[in-house]
Amino acid sequence: MPTEDRSLLLHAAGLTKRYGRHRALNDIHLAIPPGRIVGLVGPNGAGKSTLLHLACGLSTPTSGTLRILGARPAADAVHLARVGFVAQDTPTYATLTVAEHLRLGAKLNPSWDHHLAQRRITQVGLRPRQKAGRLSGGQRAQLALTIAAAKRPELLIFDEPAAALDPLARDEFLASLTAFVAELGASGILSSHLLSDVERICDYLVVLCAGRIQLAGAVDELLSNHHRLVLPPGEIDRLPHGIELIRLEHVHGRATALVRADADASLGRYPVEPVTLEELALSYLGRATTSESHGVDGTGGDAI
Amino acid sequence: MRWLTWRQFRIPALAAAVLLILAGGYLLSLGSDIREAYDTYQSHCDDPGDCARAENEFRESYKNTLLFLAAGLNLIPVAIGTFWGAPLIARELETGTHRLVWNQTVTRRRWLLTKLAIIAVACVLVAGLTSAMLTWAAAPYDEVAQDRFSTLVFGARHIAPIGYAVLAFTLGAIIGLLIRRTLPAMAVTSVVVIAIQFAAPNFVRPELLSPEAAAVPMTAETINQATNLGNITGGASIGGVQVPGAPDAWVSSTSPLRTADGQPLDKATFNDCLDTPPDTGAGGRFGDAAVCLGDLDLHVAIEYQPGERYWPLQGLETGLFLALSALLASFGVWYIRRVS
Repeated sequence: MPTEDRSLLLHAAGLTKRYGRHRALNDIHLAIPPGRIVGLVGPNGAGKSTLLHLACGLSTPTSGTLRILGARPAADAVHLARVGFVAQDTPTYATLTVAEHLRLGAKLNPSWDHHLAQRRITQVGLRPRQKAGRLSGGQRAQLALTIAAAKRPELLIFDEPAAALDPLARDEFLASLTAFVAELGASGILSSHLLSDVERICDYLVVLCAGRIQLAGAVDELLSNHHRLVLPPGEIDRLPHGIELIRLEHVHGRATALVRADADASLGRYPVEPVTLEELALSYLGRATTSESHGVDGTGGDAI
Repeated sequence: MRWLTWRQFRIPALAAAVLLILAGGYLLSLGSDIREAYDTYQSHCDDPGDCARAENEFRESYKNTLLFLAAGLNLIPVAIGTFWGAPLIARELETGTHRLVWNQTVTRRRWLLTKLAIIAVACVLVAGLTSAMLTWAAAPYDEVAQDRFSTLVFGARHIAPIGYAVLAFTLGAIIGLLIRRTLPAMAVTSVVVIAIQFAAPNFVRPELLSPEAAAVPMTAETINQATNLGNITGGASIGGVQVPGAPDAWVSSTSPLRTADGQPLDKATFNDCLDTPPDTGAGGRFGDAAVCLGDLDLHVAIEYQPGERYWPLQGLETGLFLALSALLASFGVWYIRRVS
């Protein structure tokens, strides 16, 4: 799909990253359309950071290809300008002041938006003469976010940016993040193990577990084709064609199944309840962890 | 990128500038002292006996100071490699700031090359200025002492310190890139730089230009011009032999004493001459021993660099070190793309 490739936000084909003998990412196939805020969820060690580091060009794949906005990540200065990245621990130079960080951004990025940066710094209450080393975690995250956003990238990537923040700082940070993405008209990719964060700001979900994609798709589509069914005993093995069982739960003596249904499959026979994004992600993660030993291939990528 | 490099480097640069000014003040006053003492020694030179004594006095009064200063100047590359080179990349990798700066609109290659280039210029300035000041201050002494090829002095005069400083800096930076930890990188760098400073004069410098060979007859006179006889194993060796008629040549290797047929002089004969030479009442540094050995028709085979090769050797050594630095920088550019 060479022509389609150019317009995709992210396109991975056979993407594998190995650290020694450990496969952090194992044969990933993924195609995400542009204009999305992508939530990348999965347990610790699932390969989220690995995928994001590959996406911003901090590391290179062991095999397979990855295209971000149609090009190899960090291929050249032009491509570096198109992607903003906020690393997990939001690193800044401890001895440089807030103002000097903005100057750094202005000097190193031709597309730097001085007014945007100044306005944001004022809004979040960062004092220009304060040394970055003396900022709180939340303030430092805001500074790192401002530097990444003020170069006006087409894509902003966040690696667990809110993980280390207290609830209030996290709330403020996520609000800033959403505001930035809206103001820039940019796409975003955000990794998190907090499903509530993802539910709040993302419109596209990727579930990663044990180095494989378990599920990927637009949130509204995922919610409309996943359902919770209350099944009478014995019906589990006789689900109609077009309905795939994702996870089965027994609550108060009755079985509820989280299923994925094709658009034309008939669910009329059973009582149907809607699912939340959190339940959905957890079901796929649960399935991945229980079936890992059986070597089940996570083919959720087909859902695109 | 230039702004960021300068911003991160300005405190080390300021420290270097202050030290440079202090060193400059001291060397200026030392230089005028030496010139005054030189004039005093020259004023005694109407009478040859007086002149030799005055020359000796002049040399002795500045020998140790200048040797100490040459050693001090040799510490500059060690300091530069350790404090400017090693932390340059290692600290970024250690604190994670590379993940901030490598995602700005600057490729890693440009980031690295700008940093290396700007600080290499600072190395050239620091080493070059210090060396120029010391070379100026020591000029009258060097003219009298004729030891500009000696290990410490050669590396602490004219342009040679520049090569050492730039190489030490680049080496430190690349070691930091490979080790990724500041303190270990600093430790390794200091050891490697000192090893280079030891190896270069002893193994590299003599080979930069293929040396001339000569057999020097060991008369009582030539033996008395040498600096030492024998060694701790009791071998028939001689050190500090001068090339006849060319006292400014650099003798880089000297064979043991040989007899007329080319065989090494046996230890017993050598030690007899040293311990119980026939009493002739001869003067000179080695007195009767020199006469005793001189009568044996001995010679040594030497390899040497004629004095006029001083500048070619300075240029070659500096050029070699700058080329090595460029090679290291290219390796860094290649390697940094693989860092994650």
